[in-house]
Formats: sequence, structure tokens, C-alpha cells
Amino acid sequence: MTATSYASAVKPGRDGFGSLLRAEWTKFRTVRGWLIAALAVAGLTAVGPIWLAGTAINSTELCTRYQCEVQGQAVATGPSGAAVTDQFTFVHQPIAASGSITVRVTSFHGSSVPSLPPGLHPAPTTEPWAKAGLIITASTTPGSAYAAVMLTGGHGVRMQYDYTHDLAGNELVSAPAEIQWLRLTRSGNTITGYESVNARQWTTIGTAVLAGLPPAAQAGMFVTSPAFSEPIGSGDDTAGGPTRATATFSQLSLRGGVPGRSWIATGLREATASLQPVHGIKVRRRSASGDSVTQTAGSFTVTGSGDIAPFEPLVDPVRFAFIGTLFGLITVIALGAVFITAEYRRALIRTTVAASPRRGRILLAKAIVVAAVTFVAALIGAAIAFPVVEHKLYDQGWKPPVWHVLALTSGTGLRIVLGTAAIAAGAAVLGLAAGAAFRRSAAAVTAVIGGVIVPLILAQLLPLSPAQWLLRITPAAAFSLQASVQRYPQVSYICAPYHECYPLAPWTGFAVLTAWAVVALFGAVYLLRRRDV
Amino acid sequence: MGAVHAEWTKLRTVASSGWLALAIVALTVLVSGITSDVVRCPGSCSADPARLSLAGVMLGQAAVIGLAVLLVTAEYSTGMMKVTLTATPRREAVLAAKSAVLTAVVLVAGTVAVAGSLLAGRLLLPGNGFDVAHHFATLSLLHGATVRAAAGSVLYLVLVGLLSLGAATALRDSAAATAVVLGLVYVLPLIGDVTLSPVWQHRIERWTPMDAGLAIQATRNLSRLPIGPWPGLGVLAVWAAAAMLAGWLVLRLRDA
Repeated sequence: MTATSYASAVKPGRDGFGSLLRAEWTKFRTVRGWLIAALAVAGLTAVGPIWLAGTAINSTELCTRYQCEVQGQAVATGPSGAAVTDQFTFVHQPIAASGSITVRVTSFHGSSVPSLPPGLHPAPTTEPWAKAGLIITASTTPGSAYAAVMLTGGHGVRMQYDYTHDLAGNELVSAPAEIQWLRLTRSGNTITGYESVNARQWTTIGTAVLAGLPPAAQAGMFVTSPAFSEPIGSGDDTAGGPTRATATFSQLSLRGGVPGRSWIATGLREATASLQPVHGIKVRRRSASGDSVTQTAGSFTVTGSGDIAPFEPLVDPVRFAFIGTLFGLITVIALGAVFITAEYRRALIRTTVAASPRRGRILLAKAIVVAAVTFVAALIGAAIAFPVVEHKLYDQGWKPPVWHVLALTSGTGLRIVLGTAAIAAGAAVLGLAAGAAFRRSAAAVTAVIGGVIVPLILAQLLPLSPAQWLLRITPAAAFSLQASVQRYPQVSYICAPYHECYPLAPWTGFAVLTAWAVVALFGAVYLLRRRDV
Repeated sequence: MGAVHAEWTKLRTVASSGWLALAIVALTVLVSGITSDVVRCPGSCSADPARLSLAGVMLGQAAVIGLAVLLVTAEYSTGMMKVTLTATPRREAVLAAKSAVLTAVVLVAGTVAVAGSLLAGRLLLPGNGFDVAHHFATLSLLHGATVRAAAGSVLYLVLVGLLSLGAATALRDSAAATAVVLGLVYVLPLIGDVTLSPVWQHRIERWTPMDAGLAIQATRNLSRLPIGPWPGLGVLAVWAAAAMLAGWLVLRLRDA
């Protein structure tokens, strides 16, 4: 009798990743407490921000309390309806629909640093975004459409227009010390900016099309220098104040001007001040800050203070309200941890590992399930919260021009809502990985909350640079996804955690969280493979 | 007394207790030291050197919370609680013994942590502008307010531990208890820090466990604090007492 090998009549079970996912999903949905926790995530993510938005004070009251018109700069409404800063000393003439203006900047430097507490480093002699150059503007009313070419204190030659647009010039001739020629040409609504080192070879920087530029626009030289501030000590202690810059212009030439017109100087801050003749030119003088224009032998020396830039409020009311999502986030972290520690507690992990011996895939399947569930729960909560938060803030005076009303479907709105869900998914994976590593929920939850939420608290306490550093390298960097105030690189500001500003760009911050989650998951897989269950 | 001895034996023979006690000291001293190292006071500033040098208590308390929660929930998760209650049928005695053991451990670890933090502050702060020339006295335990800040910080850690112990006894689940206590301790102050509502800011600074409790660390400008040092610690004590009461009621009324 020959021995025949035995083969089971039972078909082998499928060992696909799909079945593993299904098994983990079944585990999740059949535990009542976890389903309740998922519902709690959605509920808390919605209720937290709505409650906080409801407690926010009226924005005008905030302005008196916290001086939200920071840096003493007045706010005007720009061509797009958004708030802008528009203060500069301007020496100008009308320019026709076709013409050009050319000038040579022979010197440019900052002057007069504000009084600071003793021991503080003085401001750089020229503010990096101090500006001196040529501008063509629709009118001298603050907030008018404009295009300008300029030397800056620290960013080389730039062409800027309509406040939000900023183009870099040729880097080779960027040093302010170099003698620099600048030119703007106008052809209808189109304005082109040029730079040159010798007035023979001209390089185009860029072209701006300004809608509705009147036939008689104003063209001329301008100088301005933004306020300086420097953090001191810890928290929100800052020192600073307005700065001034002075530039000397020579060999000014204007084509397309009105014959016989003289140059008028205007400080835009006080357009109503009286005209006074100074050194042969008419000066419309401001009283406050020593801005001045002098003319000697064909050259103009202009001193100015202020900025031509988008206005950036310090406070971010939406991010403030969305701090309320942290209640949901703590639930998410606990849920992620328990999804694996419960298996250790009940020894279910042995069955799980016996059923699917490839342990890395178990953890991956768990991560996908818990990330997907928490993503959806937080997404629902945030999508409910966002429009209500916007509505409540609007009712309390948080509205244009300084604050934008964001629709849920706008780019920023979608980023905040999807970002809140993405933060939840990342935190859930971190919780899961910590749970697998520690096998105890108390340790796992504490570690993840320590990594994700505690940096936010420490950042409030530490001085600016370590605080920013903390918010760059910890998973808390991802909260930048909830920022609602748009930041422009051409505006100097202090990105203070105290004002809910995050140093990294939104999706860069999320990449930091993702990197932490991936590394933690790999570490957990390594430990799960090495250890007995 | 037997109950206390039993609790001490249980705590001592679990590896995680030693690590957590070490974490209390390490996290506190590390964060305090880093804070003392990076702060600057050029000329004048509103910062409080004692408070800065004890900043690590904010992170060290997370380890206290972990220790306190595990003291209770580890027994529920393994079924050990039934044995404990069989051996000591008077449930108050079990809770009291656990509180006593926790208090002793946190007192020791907290004292080491606070002493290390103050030492780091004493060495590092004068080099960062917190010196006699700027009207800051060197941190010293001969100074009454500094003693209050130091001893108060140890008491703060003990009270946070008791708050967590009470919450864990009431909730019986380590994930839930840890999440609730950490949310209470960390998220509420964060809202107070950034809130756009002065009313809520004031409420949070006066009545939440961490903000009120850490008022004990203040040594300067006491009149401008939202709540005084001892009343602040008192608020935390009320939170801890309420949590212990809830824990006691649940322990008494529910089956283990």
C-alpha cells in the first residue's frame, strides 16, 4: 500500500491585504465604545470651534485692547477690496496714457531707529523691506492701484504692483550700495519695470496690467520704510516702532508728462495738509515723523516712512476658534492607541498574529482603518463647524477689509477643513504606533499628547526663536493647516506662536506630522516583529 | 497599613513605575533647563525667573498623570482589582492606600525634579540677563517667594497626581482617563492663552487646574496675577478633591 500525501479538502483562506483590512474594519465597527468615540470626534470637532467663535469679542473692541492696527499704520482698502498699508513719501507729476519715467538712485539708507529698551540690539541700518524707487499710481488716495520698481534694503531690486504682487529683479545688481537706474514705462493700462546699472542696457523686471488706470495717473519717486519690531524675553514681549529711510535720486526724466508742471511732494498719510514751498518744489508735508523732500542741483533727497504692502493682521480668528478641535484630537489619539492596546489587553493580538503572520501588514491595515475613520469623523465635524465659525465671527465684526470671509469651498476654507481631518488622521496613526510600541494606552496617549499638543503650550512660554523651532520640528507643525490669514513674503512680521502664527507653510507643516507618523509606524512594526505577543 | 504596604509592593514590582518616576524628574529638569538656557531678558522684561526655571513642571506632570492613572487602570485591565478588593474589602482603604503611595512617590520624584530645575535656573539665568544689574536676585531657597514656588511646585505635582488617580478610579480605563486629564490640564490653558475673549481668558486663568495651580510658581508682580499663589493651588486642590470624590463614589457603588 502506497502512502499518499494528505491534502485538505478545505480551500485555503485568502491571505490578501483586502481581507486584513476588512478584518480590522470589522473589529473597529463591532466595538460599541469605539463607534461612540468616533461620533464624539465628529461632535467635539464641530462643537469646540463653534463655542470658541461664539466667545470671541467684537473685533473693534479687540483693536483697542490689543492694538490690532499694529505698527501704527493706517489701513486702506486696496483695489481687490482687501486691507492694505499705503504710506510713503511721494514726489510726483501727472503722466499721460503713454510715457515713461527714469531715475538714478545714488544713495539709499535707513535712518533714525526708534527708541528701544537698553540692551536691545539696534535695528539694521536699513530695514530689509525699506523701499526707494519709481511708482505710477492711479491717484494719491491710499489704496490706489499702482505699479513700482524699487531698491529695497535687503531684497535687491523689485517690481511690485497692486500690493500683493512682488517680482524679483536681477540679483547681480541687487546691492543697494550700487548705483542703480530704474525705469517705468506706461502704455495705457500696461506698466513695465526696468533696471540698469549704466542707463544703456536695460533689463525688464516685469509687466503689470492695472485695471482702470485713469488717463492722468501720477508718476514719480517714492521712499518708504516699514516699522521694525523685535521680540524680547518670552511670550509676546516685543519692542520696536516706525523706521525711516532716505534716498537720493538724480537724473530724473519724465516723458508723457504735462509741460510746465512742477514736482509735487506728498506724504500720503495726511493728504489734506497744507502746501508749503521748500527748496523750489511744492511740498505737502505731514506733521508726524520727519518725512521730507529736498531738491539740490537736479537731485532729490527723499525721506519716508511706512509701507506699500498688503495689510497683515496679527490675530488669526479662525485658527483661534479651531483650537477647539483639540478636544476632538485628544479623543482621536486615545482611539488610535486603544485600537491596538485593547488587543494586548484581551490577548486578541495572538489571534490576529496567528491569522496573519506578516505583522507589518497588520499594523498597516490598522493604521489605514483608524486613519480613515478619524479622517471622516473630523472632516464631518470641521465641515459643520467652519461655516458656523465664519458666520459668528462676521457677526462680531471680523469682516473685510481686514479679515476675509472665507467660504467653505474657497481654497483656504477647504484647506482648513481638510487639514483638520488630515491632522486627526496623522494623530490617530501616531496614537496607534505609540500604542503598539508601549502596549499600554496610558503611556501611548501621554506620549502622543506630549508630542502633538504640549509643544503648543511650551511655544507660548519660550522666547520667539526656540518657540518657532519647536513648532517646526514637532508634529504640532501641522496646525499651520488651520491658519486663515494669508502671509506675504514681502511683508515683515513676527510670526509669534502667541498670535497663533506657525513658522512653516501649511502643507509643509503637515509633511512634518506625516514624517513623524511614518517613522513611528515603522518603529512600531519593528518592535511588533521583534517581540513575542 | 497593610493596604499601603500592598500598594507599595505592587507599584515597586512593575517596571513602568520606575521609568515613570524617572520620567517625572528627567522631563521636568530637561524642559526647565532648556527654558532657562534660551530665555533672554535684555534690559527690562516682565518674566518671572522662578517661574521660568520651573517651566518643566508643565511637561513633568504628564509623567505624574501616567503614573497615577496606571496605578488604578492597570489593575482593572488585568482583573487584579478583584484580588485587591478581596484582600482589602474596605474600598476607602484601597483608595487611601493608593493615594498615600502615589503621594510619597511624587513627593520624592517631584522634590528631586524641582531641585534640579532650580539649580539649572540658578546657574543659567544670570547669564541671560536675569542678574543683579537688572534687579533680579539670584534664585535661592533663602528667599521666601522662591521657597513657596519650589515647595508649591512639588505640591502641584502631588495634587495633579491625586486628580488623575480620582479620574482613573472613576473612569477605570487608562485611555479615557489619560485623555480626560490631559485635556483638562493642557487644552484648557491653551484656549486661555490664545482666546479672543478677555472674559474667558480670565475665567480659564482663574479656574482651570494648570493655570490656577501654577500660580504658586509666581514670585513677582503678585498683585497683577489673575489668582494669587495659594488660592490658585487651592483651586487645583478642589479639582483633585472633586476627582477623588467621584472616584470614591464609583469605587463604592460599582462592581469591580
